[in-house]
Amino acid sequence: MNLFRWFILRPLRADLARTGVTMAGIAVGIAVVIAIRLANTSSVLGFETALNAMSGRTSLEITGAGGGVAEERLAELGWLREYGQASPVVEGDVLLAPPGAADAGAELVRLLGVDILRDRPFRDYPLVDAAAPGEITTRRFLALLTDPQAVILTRELADRRRLEVGSAVDLVSGDRRASLIVKGLLGREGPAEVLDGNFVLMDIAAAQLALDRLGRVDRVDVRLADGLDAAAARQAIAERLPPGLAVQRPERRGAQVEKMLAAFHFNLTALSYIALLVGMFLVYNTVSVGVITRRAEIGMLRTVGAPRRVVLALFLGEAAGLALVGCAAGAPLGWLLAQAAVRMTASTVSTFWVAAAAHVPPLTAGDVAAAFAAGVPLALVAAVVPAREAARITPVGALRDEGELLLRRRLPKRYPLGAAALLAAGAWCATRPAVDGLPVFGLLAVLAVVFAAALCVPPALYGLQRLRGPRRWLRVEGELACTNLGGAIRRLSISVAALMVSLAMMVAIAVMVGSFRETVAYWVGQSLQADLFVAAGRGSPAGARQTVSADVEAALVAHEGVLAVDAFRSVDLSYRDALIVVGAGRFDVLLEHGNLLFKAPADGRRALAAARGRPAVVVSESFALRFGAAVGDVVTLRTARGEQPFRVNGVYYDYSTDRGLVVMDEATFAAHYGERRPSGLAAYLAPGADPGRVRRDVLAALGPERPVFINTNAALRQNVLRVFDSTFAITRALEAIAICVSLFGVAATLLALALERRRPLAMLRLLGAERRRLRRMVVIEALLLGVVSLGIGVAAGVLISLILIYVINVQSFGWTIQFHLPLAFLLRAALLVLAGAALAGLYPARLAGRFHLAERGADA
Amino acid sequence: MERLPRMPVLELRDVHKRFGSGETAVSAVRAASFALEAGEFAATIGPSGCGKSTLLHLCGAMDRPTRGAVRLAGRSLAALDDDALTRLRRRHVGFVFQFFNLLPTLTVAENIALPLLLAGSRASEADERARRTAARVGLSARTGHYPAQISGGEAQRAAIARAVIHRPALLIADEPTGNLDSANGARVLELLRELNTRIGTAVLLATHDDRVAASAGRVIEMRDGAVVRDAAAGPQGSAG
Repeated sequence: MNLFRWFILRPLRADLARTGVTMAGIAVGIAVVIAIRLANTSSVLGFETALNAMSGRTSLEITGAGGGVAEERLAELGWLREYGQASPVVEGDVLLAPPGAADAGAELVRLLGVDILRDRPFRDYPLVDAAAPGEITTRRFLALLTDPQAVILTRELADRRRLEVGSAVDLVSGDRRASLIVKGLLGREGPAEVLDGNFVLMDIAAAQLALDRLGRVDRVDVRLADGLDAAAARQAIAERLPPGLAVQRPERRGAQVEKMLAAFHFNLTALSYIALLVGMFLVYNTVSVGVITRRAEIGMLRTVGAPRRVVLALFLGEAAGLALVGCAAGAPLGWLLAQAAVRMTASTVSTFWVAAAAHVPPLTAGDVAAAFAAGVPLALVAAVVPAREAARITPVGALRDEGELLLRRRLPKRYPLGAAALLAAGAWCATRPAVDGLPVFGLLAVLAVVFAAALCVPPALYGLQRLRGPRRWLRVEGELACTNLGGAIRRLSISVAALMVSLAMMVAIAVMVGSFRETVAYWVGQSLQADLFVAAGRGSPAGARQTVSADVEAALVAHEGVLAVDAFRSVDLSYRDALIVVGAGRFDVLLEHGNLLFKAPADGRRALAAARGRPAVVVSESFALRFGAAVGDVVTLRTARGEQPFRVNGVYYDYSTDRGLVVMDEATFAAHYGERRPSGLAAYLAPGADPGRVRRDVLAALGPERPVFINTNAALRQNVLRVFDSTFAITRALEAIAICVSLFGVAATLLALALERRRPLAMLRLLGAERRRLRRMVVIEALLLGVVSLGIGVAAGVLISLILIYVINVQSFGWTIQFHLPLAFLLRAALLVLAGAALAGLYPARLAGRFHLAERGADA
Repeated sequence: MERLPRMPVLELRDVHKRFGSGETAVSAVRAASFALEAGEFAATIGPSGCGKSTLLHLCGAMDRPTRGAVRLAGRSLAALDDDALTRLRRRHVGFVFQFFNLLPTLTVAENIALPLLLAGSRASEADERARRTAARVGLSARTGHYPAQISGGEAQRAAIARAVIHRPALLIADEPTGNLDSANGARVLELLRELNTRIGTAVLLATHDDRVAASAGRVIEMRDGAVVRDAAAGPQGSAG
């Protein structure tokens, strides 16, 4: 232990800068992994927690196909009393805004509408403050809620927004605004504890009005009588339910969400491990530099009797120590990062209620243990090579300062052979199908390419020795730089490989995101043909469930400049244990004015025309891939009339959701799911009509207080790409971290090399090389390393991007992406990396120029 | 072979070198004064720590004196900045060390050619002269080898070839035979003598070996940083 303190801890303290950077590197690596883990679990767990709190003591829930249960059908469910109590519920997300104000300062809240008489056995509503304090009886509750203008908020929400009992608030849903009065406040219990208190309670009738769901409830909750077996009761109820209604346990919704997010989480987790690799690389570097600079000390230790295993243990101990501190810091840092990650990825998850429910759970002992379980062993693995090098130092060798500079005169065949074998394995993996919906083999193919590229690094460094032309061009410094690098292949390979891997991942993701962006831009250009788009709610992800009022549509249709209006409406539907979206549009309008990009059949317009007024649909590519649906197949969907078959007439490209879209004509939809207001409108204007003017006219006709959002075609396209870019911001941020840390690694390696070459460098000074020439030599070395990393990194990156685009993406999301090489970005990135590499060489270069001439060797 | 004119190549006047400051200061060289003419072959002797290496550093323009004047090839070191010192070394000084100090990643020919390349010679010319010099020290067959592939004696001969390829006025040799067996040591010494005679390069070597010292034409003996004897080899001669 003393030895460890003297020999490891003191030097670590003495070189605080490098120690600090290494610990920070490990901490960041661990933090990213923990953050992604927390963010992933939070989006599912958060939803489940919210679900449980909202479900209360509900044992089973009865839902209609997509759009809830029509009120007149509730009468048919009187027999539910035989199994227990039943309570109809309306639930939705609305904006809570100050009265009469614009949406600025509004926040999203979950609205629950219940019949309080029937609902009290299901959920607890702990009133903490009311207009008339006293014992809270059902009768008093009833008195509070039956006022159609009454709303009950949580205490938390009221405090945050400085509201109290008697305050006026507005609830905005779609293009409707309801003016309400706060009648009571709820304590933190039951439904009120979800979503950080963003919960409001209303009477069911008032909630239906606010949410524009008159005549319809979202579900009927059932609390089974004591002693009844839930599974048997569920079976019995299912058999008695009329067509179009289904019974399920509330937890099932959570399972569906989990399944929906599985591929997304899987990919994010895989990405997070890159950050950990970078941390490992830093450990390797720090321990290496320690071993190189303290060769003489190690030799002395060996001379005075320390066995090899003690030396090995000392340096492994150093790695473990660095990792312990790094992990301890990384776990809480990960929690903070998770908060940011949840916010940044919220728009990626297409379903709002998951994003809104995402709330990062507190850091548990399990998370901290996971950080240590990942960090410490990886740090030990990273330190094995330099620690073994230290253990191999002989007393005589150390005293003579025998370095590790060895010249590779022949290229070992195992490198190119290994690379070829790995590439072949990768190619095989890329052709395998997904495993349980996850692109496991696709990721293995990426790993194979990464390792194959790493094996190409030694041959490339070896090739530098053989390059004659550029060496001459770079003069004697270039000659020396090339031979120096050739002589340190073993030492350099890992650093160069680490930088190369970071670059490859950056290039791969840049190519994939660039290709995706180009594809989406093309798709948007082709598909968004309408001149104006009317949405219920400002780009709120809850938009799909909000509706556009009839008078808004009428105002639009009435405008002389409007040629035709298409309306889109949709419902979320369970389909083979997954959640899909069933939508409807006006196929007539679409045929005459619009454009869908069809994947199959070749004549998509004919397929669309044939689907009008028939039980036929067109499905998105992601639906077709996920559920194996092809043109001519029949899909069976839950409808208000029970399960119904629909013929698949066509498959079209869609990038708006990866959940799978099934689209039918408006009339077909109405026949199966009932009449309902659309969630969005698309207006086609007469030739020559100015979209900006039509937009202004319609808004003016509706009056300033109507919360209607009308986008012009150009604005919507811009918005789509803006959302796209923000979605990938976290990915790019992660990549930037990895590259910066890798460049730091190159600097550390060059530093180690410079230290190792003190004697040859001093000798060069003696032979007449000025300091600036030595500095130039080391900077050229750094640049050459940058060039090698970049060359292999770009090639590997493009290969990985092909796997990402054609294998992983297709298996995860079911999207076809057209390959596109973002040349301008790649060129910019290449120049930046080379500049970074040169910068990384500056400090080692300064150091190389500073070695004292008297360090040339033996004393006389 | 053309001989350089006989003039002082190196001149030290009351040279002092101190390391550190205050109570911990150490005087490594004290009041050293002597001159070395072209074609002279001098050996510095003395026990370990007597200041031989420091004296060699000062003579080879690797370091500047704390006090006193060192003139090398007619120029005072005190007036020169780091780059000028480097150029002075590059033009007028060659170095040979106990542990050869060949660059491990360069071949023997490349190592020998290095001073010429650093001085700006064309690669082809440097290569040709390196091969000629290698032939002169008996390394024709080894020019394409790397330092790790040749023997200690051959490595030292390569180091000597590198030290004289640019025909320096002064050759500094720090224990050049210290890491060689007696046969190779004798051969290296013979080579130094031959180059000294043929090119006229002044040689200043440091050694512990009395036989090496005895073969020099002049012996400079040091003790505790001071030159205590400066005489022609053998008992005759006078302190300088």
